[in-house]
Amino acid sequence: MASDLATVHPEGTVFGDVGDTAVPLRFSSLSDEYRALRERAVVVDLTGHRLIEITGPAAVEFAQRVLARDVEYLTSDRCTMSLVLDDTGRVVDQVLAFGREDGVLLESSAGAGTRLCEHLRGLGEEGVRITERTDLAVIGLEGPYAWGVVGRLIDPELASLPFESVVDATWNGTDIVFARTGYTGEYGYQMIVPADAAAELWSLALEHASPAGQEALELAMLEVRQPVPRHETGEGATVVEMGANWLIDITKDAFVGREATLAAFADGGGRRVVGFTGPEGVPAPGTRVLAGGQDVGEVVYAVHSVGLDATLGLARVDRDLAAAGLDLTVGGAEVTTLTSPYVVPKSWSIPII
Amino acid sequence: MTLRPVVVTGLGIICAAGRDPDDFWRRLTTGQGGLTPVEDEAYAVFTARFAGQVPDAWLPEGGPEAALDRTARLALVAARQALGQAGLDGSDGLGGGVEAGPAPERFGIILGKCQATPDAAGRYQPMHRTADVVAERLRLGGPRIVVSTACAAGGNAVGLARDKILTGEADAVLAGGVDPLLFGTYAGFAGLQALSTGPCRPYSRSDGLNLGEGAAFLLLEPLDLALARGATPLAEVAGYGLSADAYHATAPDPTGRGGASAMRRALADAGLTADDVHYVSGHGTGTPANDAMEAKVMRLVFGERAGRVPTSSIKSFVGHTLGAAGAVEAVASVLALRHGVAPPTIGFGDVVTDLDFVPNRARKMPIDTVVSNNYAFGGNNVSLVLTRPRGPREYGDEHGGLPDREAVVTGLGPVTGAGTGIDEVAEAIAAGRDGAGRTPSLEGRTFAPRSLWRHMNRLSRMAIAASRLAWEDAGLKLPRKELDDVALVFATAAGSAESTGGFDESVAANPNKPAVLSFSNVVLNATGGAVCQTLGLRGPTTTVCNGGASASIALDCALEMIRAGKAEVVLVVAADEALRPAEGTAVPYDKGSAGPVPGSAAVAFVVESAEHCAGRGGRPYARVLGTGHAGSGPDGPEPVARSMALLPPEPPGVVLGAGTGLPEDGEEAAAVLAALAAMAEERPDGGRGLLTGSAGLTGDCRAATGAMNIALAALAVRDGVAPALTGLTAPAAGDPGRYLTRPGGLSGPVGRAVALTSAPGSVRGAVLLGAL
Repeated sequence: MASDLATVHPEGTVFGDVGDTAVPLRFSSLSDEYRALRERAVVVDLTGHRLIEITGPAAVEFAQRVLARDVEYLTSDRCTMSLVLDDTGRVVDQVLAFGREDGVLLESSAGAGTRLCEHLRGLGEEGVRITERTDLAVIGLEGPYAWGVVGRLIDPELASLPFESVVDATWNGTDIVFARTGYTGEYGYQMIVPADAAAELWSLALEHASPAGQEALELAMLEVRQPVPRHETGEGATVVEMGANWLIDITKDAFVGREATLAAFADGGGRRVVGFTGPEGVPAPGTRVLAGGQDVGEVVYAVHSVGLDATLGLARVDRDLAAAGLDLTVGGAEVTTLTSPYVVPKSWSIPII
Repeated sequence: MTLRPVVVTGLGIICAAGRDPDDFWRRLTTGQGGLTPVEDEAYAVFTARFAGQVPDAWLPEGGPEAALDRTARLALVAARQALGQAGLDGSDGLGGGVEAGPAPERFGIILGKCQATPDAAGRYQPMHRTADVVAERLRLGGPRIVVSTACAAGGNAVGLARDKILTGEADAVLAGGVDPLLFGTYAGFAGLQALSTGPCRPYSRSDGLNLGEGAAFLLLEPLDLALARGATPLAEVAGYGLSADAYHATAPDPTGRGGASAMRRALADAGLTADDVHYVSGHGTGTPANDAMEAKVMRLVFGERAGRVPTSSIKSFVGHTLGAAGAVEAVASVLALRHGVAPPTIGFGDVVTDLDFVPNRARKMPIDTVVSNNYAFGGNNVSLVLTRPRGPREYGDEHGGLPDREAVVTGLGPVTGAGTGIDEVAEAIAAGRDGAGRTPSLEGRTFAPRSLWRHMNRLSRMAIAASRLAWEDAGLKLPRKELDDVALVFATAAGSAESTGGFDESVAANPNKPAVLSFSNVVLNATGGAVCQTLGLRGPTTTVCNGGASASIALDCALEMIRAGKAEVVLVVAADEALRPAEGTAVPYDKGSAGPVPGSAAVAFVVESAEHCAGRGGRPYARVLGTGHAGSGPDGPEPVARSMALLPPEPPGVVLGAGTGLPEDGEEAAAVLAALAAMAEERPDGGRGLLTGSAGLTGDCRAATGAMNIALAALAVRDGVAPALTGLTAPAAGDPGRYLTRPGGLSGPVGRAVALTSAPGSVRGAVLLGAL
C-alpha cells in the first residue's frame, strides 16, 4: 500500500517498504532532515499509520481488553500510547489510542496496520465493530518550534495543548482531530484529517516547515528511547526484555497478554535492553555483544546518530549488564553503554509562548 | 435578556498595601508596595521570607472584638468600611441609623476564603465561622454563603452576590474575601518551590510568589434601590464567568483555555465583547506557570489587540492573599474605574514583551470596563466584569430579568455506608438496613483512570464515584463540546480530613519537608477540581463550604447557572469524611439518642434544565419547586420555620429532615411538624406529610447528609422510596405517628417532598421537590 501523499511528494523522494506500506524514508538527506527536526520543526508523513476505529456498545470494554494500558475512561479529549500484546505477551504493535465519543480510535505504528487489524478481528466479539478508517490520514509535526507551526497552520490556541490532549478542531472548513503527541522528545503534534484533504494540509504545512522522512524520525525516536516497534519487537522479546514496561499497566485487572507479562516479571530472568555508542561502524541486528570476552547478548539494532556523530544502538544483554557506563565489545569494536535519553531534546529548554 | 443592574456602593480593604480604600489607592498609584520580611522567628526556617503582612497597629485595639481570631478581625475591619462608604453603618447597627436601608433578612454576606483558619485559641474552626461572626456583628440575616474556590474565591464571591440580588433573595450583599497568613500554608507553598526569595516580580522575572494576608469587601446593591436611598454607585458588576481547567490539581492548563473561557463567559454575561475592555486586572502571582498562562489568556481573548489592553498585577504590592485576592483586586478595579488610572505592576524587570503590563508606574487612562481575573488550585477560574455605573434601565420581571427556567433532578449518585449507587441504597432502605458510620465501599470497580485514581485521596475517590454514578443514573451521554459547558458545584463542610491531617503532621514534623501532594488537596475545592478533571467537565464551577447546609446552597448555585443560561447540566457533588469513623446506630429525633454517628460519604445529583432533559429523552426524578435559606445565629426552631416559609406553600408527602441525633433535633422537628400541621389545614383530606431523615441510614456526613436528603427526596417523589427512622420510639417533638418509622412506609410516590439541610449556628436550608 502506498502513502496517501505519495503523489504529492517530489521526485527524488526515497521510498521504502515498512511493514505493509511504502513510506518516504528521505526527502533530501538524513542529516538535514534530522537537524531540522532537532533544531526547528519538520512535517512528517504518517499516512503509513493505519487508523482503526473500535465502536459499538462493547467498544470500550473491548479496547480495555486488547490494549495493555488503561483506556476505560479515556475521554474524547485525551489520547494515550499503549502496547497491544498477544496471549503470549509478544508485542503486536505500539498504538496511539484516542478516546472518541463513540468508542476508541487506534493509530498503528508505521506499516503495522494489517497485522494489528487481523489481531483485533481475531479477538472481536459481539457488540464491537472494528473499522479500518482508510478515509482518514495522519500528518505529524515534530521539533522544538513545532508549536509555532501549529500556531500559523491551525490555531495558536492549540499550540500549548498539554501532552496527550486531543481537540476536535476545524482547519480550512474541514473537521480534523488535533492532538499533542510526540515521538522524539521534541514538541510533537498530529492531525488526523480526511484522506482527500491530506495533500492540501501537507502542502500548506510545507510553507512553515520542511519535511522529514521515516529515517530521521526513527533516529530521533531511538535517541530518546522511544520504542520503534519494527526494530525492537523481533526475536520474540517480551515487554520486560524490550524495556517497554511503561507502555503497559499491570494494575489493570485484565488485558490480553497480562498473564504472560506477569510471568515474565516474576521470572526475573531474560535479558534487558541498553543503549550503546561506539566510534565507528553500524553493527547488524543480531551481532554478538561481548563483555570481557564472554558472549552476553546481541545487538537489537544500530544506526549512525547524526546528533552524536557516532554509532548509536540498542543491545539486549544479560540483565546485570544493562547499565550505563560499561565497556563492551560489539563485532570487534569497543562500545560504551548509555543512559537514555542519548540526545537531550532542545524542546526541553524551549517554552511555548 | 436585560438584567437588573447591580452596583457597588461601598468598598472596604485591609491588606499590606493599605488599611482602607484611600490609603490603598494612594499606595497603589504611588508605587508603594507592602511586602516585607516576616519577622516571626518561626518563619526563619524558610529561605523565602517576604510576605504581605498587615501591621497589628492597623487592627482596632481593645473592645470585645480584640478577643476574636485574626481572620474575623481582618474581615470586620473591611466589612465595616464597606458599609460605612455605602452609608449603611448606623452607629447602632443596621437598620437603626439608616433610612430605607435593606432589611436585615434581605441583607446577605458572601465570603470567599481559601484556608481553614484557626480560632483565637489556635484550633481549626468551621469554614463558615468567619462569615457567621461578621453576619452576627453586622446583623446580616440574609443569604450567607462561604465560597472556597481557593485563590479564585474572592472574585467568585462577588459574582455569586450579584446572582443573589438578581434572584431577588437579597437587597444588599456584602461580598468579599479574607485570609490570614498561616504558617502551614507558607510551608506548603515553600515546599512547592513556589515562593520568591525577594519581593515577587509578576510578568517579568516570575520566579515565585509572596503570600499575603488581608480582607476586602464590596457592598453590592441593585442600582434602583441604591439610587432610591441616595447611595452613590461606584461601579457596576456587569457580569462574571467561571470555568474549570479539568487539567491538574495545582498547575494551570498551560494553553490558557480555562482562563480564556472564564473571561469570555464573563463578557457574555455582561453583554460586552473583548473590544469593550480597557484594562485587565491580572492574577499575576509571579510564578512562571501562572504568568506564562496569563499571557496566553490575553492573546487568546484579545487576539491582535492583546498588546494594546493594559494588564497589571498588584500582587507585588499586596502579596497573594489567597481567598481574599479576588476581592482585593476587585476593590482595586473599582478604584481604577473611579479614578481613570491603571495601577502598575511594580517590580517589573527589564524584559521584552509584546504585552502591556503597566510596568512600575500608574497610568492615567480612560477606563470604562475592567476585567478582573483570578486562577486557583483545582483549576478554578473566575473573571469579573466591572464597568463605570451606567444609568437605570428597564429589566425583566421581579427576578432581576432572569428567566424562570424549570430545573429537574435527573440522576442520583450516593456513595454511603448504606450503599454505593442509588439501586443499592434503595434496596437497603427497603430492607430497613442502615450503615451509619460505615466506610462506603468502592470495591469492584474503578471510577477514574487508574493513573489518576491511585494518587487520589479518599474524599476525591468518593466524590468521583458519586459523580460518575449520578451521571450514569441520569443516562447522560454528551458530546465533548457540551461537556465544555457542564457545570460542577462542589459542597463540603471541611474537605479532605485525610489530606489536611497528613499535611499538618508533615509540617509539624519538619516545615521544610511538607507533604506537597497532600497540600494540593488541602484546598477545599481540590475535590471538585478532581471531579472536573476526571469527567472532563470545563463548565462553570464553584465550591460551597457552609457546613451541613452546603448542598442546598450548592443546589441554589446550580439553579442560578441554569436560569442565567450559563449551563444546561449541573453536577452537584457533596462530600465529607469523618476523622474517626465508628459504626453505630443513629436515631435522629429520638429523646434517647446517643448522639450523631459521624460518617463519610459523597452524594452527587444531576440538575438539568427541564428543556435539556426533555430534549434528550431523559427520565427525571423530580422538579425543583423552590429553595429557601435562613441565616440562623444561635439555633432554635425559628430559622427552620423561616427557611421552610420561603418554599412555595405546597404540602409535602414527606420531609427529609437534617436531624442527626443531636438534642437540637427536637427544635427542628417541632418547627417541621408545625409547618406540616399548618399546611394540612389547607388540604381537603387533612393528610399530613411524615418526617424522616437520612442520618439514621448513613450517619452524620455533614454536607453529604444534606445532599443525601435532597437525593432521597427526589427518590421519594419518583419512586416512593424514603428511609425510615426504624429506631425511633420517643420522639423529641410530636407523636411517633408524625414520623416515617416503617420501611416501605410510603404508600407510593409522593407528589412533593422537602429536604432540609443544616449548618448548626449558621444556616438552615430547605428544598421542595415535586413530581413532574
